[in-house]
Amino acid sequence: MSTDSSAVNDIGLALEMTNITKAFPGTIAVQNVTFRAYAGEVHAVIGENGAGKSTLMKILAGAFDDYEGQVSINGRAVQLHSPAVAREYGIGMVYQELSLAGPLSIAENVLVGRLPGRKGLFVDRTALIERARSNLARVGLDIDPRIAVEEISQHEAQLVEIAKVLGRNPCILVLDEPTSALSKEEIDRLFDTIARLRKNGLAIIYISHHLPEIFRIADRVTVLRDGRRIDTCQTSQTTTEQLVKMMVGKAVEELFRQRDHEPGEQALRIEAFTRFGFFHNIDLHVRSGEILGLYGLSGAGRTELARSIMGIDPVDRGSLHLEGRAVVPRSMRQMVDEGLAYLTEDRKLSGLALRLSVRDNVVASTIPSLCRNGWYNSSAARRITQSLIERLHIYPPRDSVTVANLSGGNQQKTLLAKWLAVKPKILILDEPTRGVDINAKVLIHRTIEQMAQQGTAVILVSSDLPEVCSLADRCAVIRMGHVIGEVSGAEITEERLLMLANGEGIEKGAAE
Amino acid sequence: MSEDRTLRQNRFSVLISVLGIYFLAAILLIVGVMVSERFLSAANMLSVVGGVTILGLVAVGAAFVTYSGHFADLSIPTTMAFSGVMAVEALQFGIVAAIFTGLLVGLLIGLINGFVIGKFRANPIVWTLAMAFVTRGLMRWIWSNRQIYPEVEGAATGAGQHFVNLYRYHLLGVIPMTVVVLAAFAIGLHFVMKQSSFGRQLQITGASFEAARLSGINVSRNVGLAFLICAMTAAVAGIFLTSLSRVGAYYMGEGYDFAAVTAVVIGGVTLAGGRGSIVGVIGGVLVIGLMRNVMTLMGIDTFAQTIVTGAVFILAVGIQSNSLRRLGRDDA
Repeated sequence: MSTDSSAVNDIGLALEMTNITKAFPGTIAVQNVTFRAYAGEVHAVIGENGAGKSTLMKILAGAFDDYEGQVSINGRAVQLHSPAVAREYGIGMVYQELSLAGPLSIAENVLVGRLPGRKGLFVDRTALIERARSNLARVGLDIDPRIAVEEISQHEAQLVEIAKVLGRNPCILVLDEPTSALSKEEIDRLFDTIARLRKNGLAIIYISHHLPEIFRIADRVTVLRDGRRIDTCQTSQTTTEQLVKMMVGKAVEELFRQRDHEPGEQALRIEAFTRFGFFHNIDLHVRSGEILGLYGLSGAGRTELARSIMGIDPVDRGSLHLEGRAVVPRSMRQMVDEGLAYLTEDRKLSGLALRLSVRDNVVASTIPSLCRNGWYNSSAARRITQSLIERLHIYPPRDSVTVANLSGGNQQKTLLAKWLAVKPKILILDEPTRGVDINAKVLIHRTIEQMAQQGTAVILVSSDLPEVCSLADRCAVIRMGHVIGEVSGAEITEERLLMLANGEGIEKGAAE
Repeated sequence: MSEDRTLRQNRFSVLISVLGIYFLAAILLIVGVMVSERFLSAANMLSVVGGVTILGLVAVGAAFVTYSGHFADLSIPTTMAFSGVMAVEALQFGIVAAIFTGLLVGLLIGLINGFVIGKFRANPIVWTLAMAFVTRGLMRWIWSNRQIYPEVEGAATGAGQHFVNLYRYHLLGVIPMTVVVLAAFAIGLHFVMKQSSFGRQLQITGASFEAARLSGINVSRNVGLAFLICAMTAAVAGIFLTSLSRVGAYYMGEGYDFAAVTAVVIGGVTLAGGRGSIVGVIGGVLVIGLMRNVMTLMGIDTFAQTIVTGAVFILAVGIQSNSLRRLGRDDA
């Protein structure tokens, strides 16, 4: 592992994190990471999901009080044990999810917590507007601060958020995936602002997994993988290929996998599937017994596509065929009756009813079939749930436990059990192992393979590269609402997918 | 270890939420005995039960709205009044036509509420409040603020007397007809809530609307049906109330919305939806009846009783959301 050879010099060292380690029950999220950021540079931090980027930044934000290692800011050793302390030391965080209050004015949002008062009771409107205006000028945003935040564009809201953070005069600014919701022009304008802030002597830490952006904006880049720092280098002296290799790391042998059966008939086909603004002209098909990976970075339109196939969201154009028969998706109920199942991405909000028992959740989609003459057969429900609890090793193995009391992995298994209970012909999984422990992950993967083995057509939507590579028979890569490539068999490698998802290595003819 | 503890707590809190209300009823019985020796007399007990049967009918229907996660139906009072007035108006065509017309009103209001709230996701509180306002206005306009009397409207056919007797009829001479009707509704709706396909799906809808929708449950239909059931029992209650008071008027049923929600909530159906049972709701209704009776025996006047009922409601909601929060279900 190379050392931080590219260090400019120690003058202007704004942040130094030395031998940082942070463990969670069962996993070490960040291990022995050393990281430096200088005033007047943009330092990108990249890595796959779970590489430790967000944990490292959370430590910086003061989210944990039990990390190991030393942090010093501007040459002074500090303990970042609470968000307030971190803010005081000059760390400004701009998260992916903006923390703005929509109905309030821009001015109130920018100066939240620091509203200029008169006699300690009333807000001084004139001073508020004036101060907000000068704060907004720092990010190059010329806009009336009296406008409500919900009326401005995503890009402007992003800048308002940055202005809000800058208002506290940080010396280190952390931007977490700031471009994920922006259009091309808006990204250009954001980058202009970042360049100007850098010139003003701010140390900017830029977290992203869009590699092309990093080459545009960052001076140096640090690659994390499995909680360790792999390397830090000047962006001018590296290439996309090198970065991808560092991010992916391990050799491909364990990813190679073979299933001993041929996929069957075409189960689902979509043609020219379009929902304006989300995905365009998508052509895909999946056979029974086959696992089709759908890889893309977050915000690429994968979830939107899955929702439209399931009839949750509308489709503007295109057709859908089930076993060769044209079907118009109108509602989730209809598609479930057609033999489709959709495991949603967010188990807490849209997947499970947390206040109900495991049993009530597992049979949620199967109630009508558990009823005879309209009356519910609770012993059948219990039997089905109990067998799924055993099959998926849900702990504790009792069907009356409230789902809210289960661990994340067991909640996810309960969600999967709900869709196994409907015995689907086509199973769409949206990030089936996000935020679960390794044991649950392995079990979920084995179950997905079993399902395919038994003839279910599986569409696996995931941004977890190793997951896609180890499970998918074929993989379509989706980027900015378009399928920009499809690879199959031994060609499914992490490098290949990551290059495609970042808009590089596209074969001729594939349009963007 | 700690998991076992939460499980035990969990089971305990479930037990409390079902039986707790009957425990409270038992305490009120003891207080009642201490307050007055007349309390346990058959006559007084019958008056306790008789005094809350109409409320009971309203509450077992209203429970479905709360269970579905849509808080309350504020158009209950005007639904009661409207079906009562319409029934009286239809008495000139006979008693059967009158009852049928009254029920039809409930059906119509329920369908409108259910459709607008289920299909178009209107805010249930705002919509039913508007519905109450409109139907009350309609009644005052059509009957120009007058009351109408069953014994007058139904004099020609003799149905008027039958209508007034509806509330006063006793089965086998002892059991009030209203109690029988309430028992039938309570048992029937208990099975609908716990054992029917609709009821099971309503539970998930109430506990998490989004999760239910993305499980392929027809949430619009379920929510709509909940409001329909609520309006239907309100219509039945309205007919009985009109029969009891021998007068049909726009102000009939006032206060039944809040009293019903109180009974539902202290009966263990949480405002967060998806929890509780009809058994609990009946307990809640009994507690309200006992509370009123004990307070009357203690000489507390009617208006002060309203204050106590309100306080009990606030207390019940507070305890429920607190216990849900402690169980880690902070969405209460």
